[in-house]
Amino acid sequence: MNKTLIVAMETYLRQVKSWSFIVLVLSPFILLAISLGIGYTSATSSSDQQRIAVISDQPALRKQFIKANRDDVKASVTTTAAAKKSVGNNNLAGYLVLSADKTKVSGVYHSSDSLGGGMRTKINVFLAQSQQQLNLANAKLSAKQTKSLAVQPAFKQKIQTNHGGANLAKIISFWVLVFMIYMILITYSSVTAQEIASEKGTKVMEIIFSSTKASKYFVGKIIGVFGVILTQIIVYIVGGYGFFQIAMHLDNIKQLISDNQTLVNDVIKNMLGINLLFVFLGVIIYTIISAFSGALVAKAEDAPKAAQPAIYLSMIAFFLTMPFQSNSDALISKILSYVPFFSSYFMPMRIINDNASGLEISISLAILVISIGLLTWYIGQIYEGLILQTDDTSFWKRLRRGLSYQK
Amino acid sequence: MLTINHLHKQFGSLTALDDISFDVPDNQITGLIGQNGSGKSTTFHSILNFLKYDGQIRWNSQPIKEADFDAIGYLPEERSLMPKLTIEQQIVYLARLKGKPAKEIRPQIDDWLKKFAVKGKKTDKIKDLSKGNQQKVQLIVTLIHHPKLIILDEPFSGLDPVNADLLKRAILEARDQGAAIIFSSHDMANVEAVCDRLVMLRTGEVVLNGTISEVRDQFGKSEIYVTTDWTEEQLNQLPHVVKVQNIRGSRFLLRLDDPSKGPEVFEKLTDGKYIEEFSQQPPTLDEIFRMKAGISHE
Repeated sequence: MNKTLIVAMETYLRQVKSWSFIVLVLSPFILLAISLGIGYTSATSSSDQQRIAVISDQPALRKQFIKANRDDVKASVTTTAAAKKSVGNNNLAGYLVLSADKTKVSGVYHSSDSLGGGMRTKINVFLAQSQQQLNLANAKLSAKQTKSLAVQPAFKQKIQTNHGGANLAKIISFWVLVFMIYMILITYSSVTAQEIASEKGTKVMEIIFSSTKASKYFVGKIIGVFGVILTQIIVYIVGGYGFFQIAMHLDNIKQLISDNQTLVNDVIKNMLGINLLFVFLGVIIYTIISAFSGALVAKAEDAPKAAQPAIYLSMIAFFLTMPFQSNSDALISKILSYVPFFSSYFMPMRIINDNASGLEISISLAILVISIGLLTWYIGQIYEGLILQTDDTSFWKRLRRGLSYQK
Repeated sequence: MLTINHLHKQFGSLTALDDISFDVPDNQITGLIGQNGSGKSTTFHSILNFLKYDGQIRWNSQPIKEADFDAIGYLPEERSLMPKLTIEQQIVYLARLKGKPAKEIRPQIDDWLKKFAVKGKKTDKIKDLSKGNQQKVQLIVTLIHHPKLIILDEPFSGLDPVNADLLKRAILEARDQGAAIIFSSHDMANVEAVCDRLVMLRTGEVVLNGTISEVRDQFGKSEIYVTTDWTEEQLNQLPHVVKVQNIRGSRFLLRLDDPSKGPEVFEKLTDGKYIEEFSQQPPTLDEIFRMKAGISHE
């Protein structure tokens, strides 16, 4: 196997097998599972109390009602006595006794509380429909007359695209996106910088550099860390989708999503596509600079503070986006959308606000990709000098020496 | 064969290596000796391309390239491994970086652990091993891929005599398999025991270079070990004896001003009678080392 891949594999496996990674990846799911579990338990424990029983001496009529209102009826209760008992024990909201003779369909609801508006409407609709069927049957109409009576009034809804809704989608997309980039960067800047810094000046690096070129080792490390980031993102996407599917079984969440379907679709659309590419590339360039700052620490013991330069840079970019969130076509915003390290925040912001053309996006992407390539190449060249240098001089002195190192 | 020609390395105003030239032939063990700061590690780092240097370093008449890395086994001066890995993971990882597939290395690990008497299982984490056992694992890492050029920086430091013997055996075995070996050491007894050749550095310059006997003979047979009932004062009266040192009991070391006068000293001392010991020798490596190193202080 290629030595770069051996290093990448080793870095990747060591990270994903670590407890810190497992906890990092699983903790949101555990929290979600707990909150969903609590929601589900409270929903199921209270649902019986909100349901009703339907009692009727006409099985077809009862069956028809249950079919139309499956979620609201506890079908297992079939007798008046059982229904009374359940209501008495507070296990049912009440029971509906349905009856019909040759001309009239009637329903009597028994309960200790008055019927809620929703359920009352459902019962009324059912009774009205059943009564109408009975009336039609009793009227003995011809097929043509029946057909004429079946004609329904036309009602259509034409929803104008709401400008306010679109704006809300942009604001939500912006915040979700910048927070996503920021959180990933903060987490992995530390992971990467510490991973590299912990090797600083150690003699095992001399053994490794006697086995493979430092530049290959550096690229392997970056690929390994990127694999870890990708794994986390994939686990979040797959797990998030899974949880979404489960959550959709909970009525209130289902209702919430369907009430805001357009908004949800807009946000998802803004998150995916070219913006996701900017997120990935942003993560890569920050990972590289984190590795560089990790290599610049004085010694392995300083690993915990190794990520600081990369984190500060990320924070500056993050906070700079704030004033431009509603003003993304300002000149500074336009300029920064081309500058690597900043473009991962600013260009997606411009894309979300529809003020970046395809050409502008392509140019920004090209600059970012080229910068990643050049930065990787350059740091790869000086990496050996950075890692093997162990003198405890000032950060700037080390940076200057690192930058001027050439074999 | 490793050939070093006119190697020069400057760190700012400090000359770390000054026109160093020597060979490390195949099938031979070369000892690189010198005081701390004499340039031994810098020489190794230059061979391994960790440094920019002036001069020429050739492996089989070619500059050392990435393709040659797999043929190099390197043991750094301070021991260091990856503490979170198991013995097996560590050995396999570094062997893979030396171009050996894991499936070839894994079956050999138990034998190597046995060979170096490592106390512990291959599933034990490096951080759980004693310092000595970590050192042995590092030696295994250096040798398991059967390198053709072996560079050992102070391999004996910290090893007890039993473990030093295990290492000597492994080095001799590697030499017999054709490897060119160079190691640095402060312990002249170890150097004398395993080295075919010797290079001594002093403040970045080569002051000795040759086979062990060549180096010792350069100094002439100026020492005589005698076991006699003569007193120290009597021995001091002998012609051409410039210094007498009592080694133990009736055993003495005499230093001559002229090695060719040995027979004359013998005549005087024995006077035709039996003597238990009379051995004229060149100085030991230890003495040569002290002598050569001492010059720098003069």
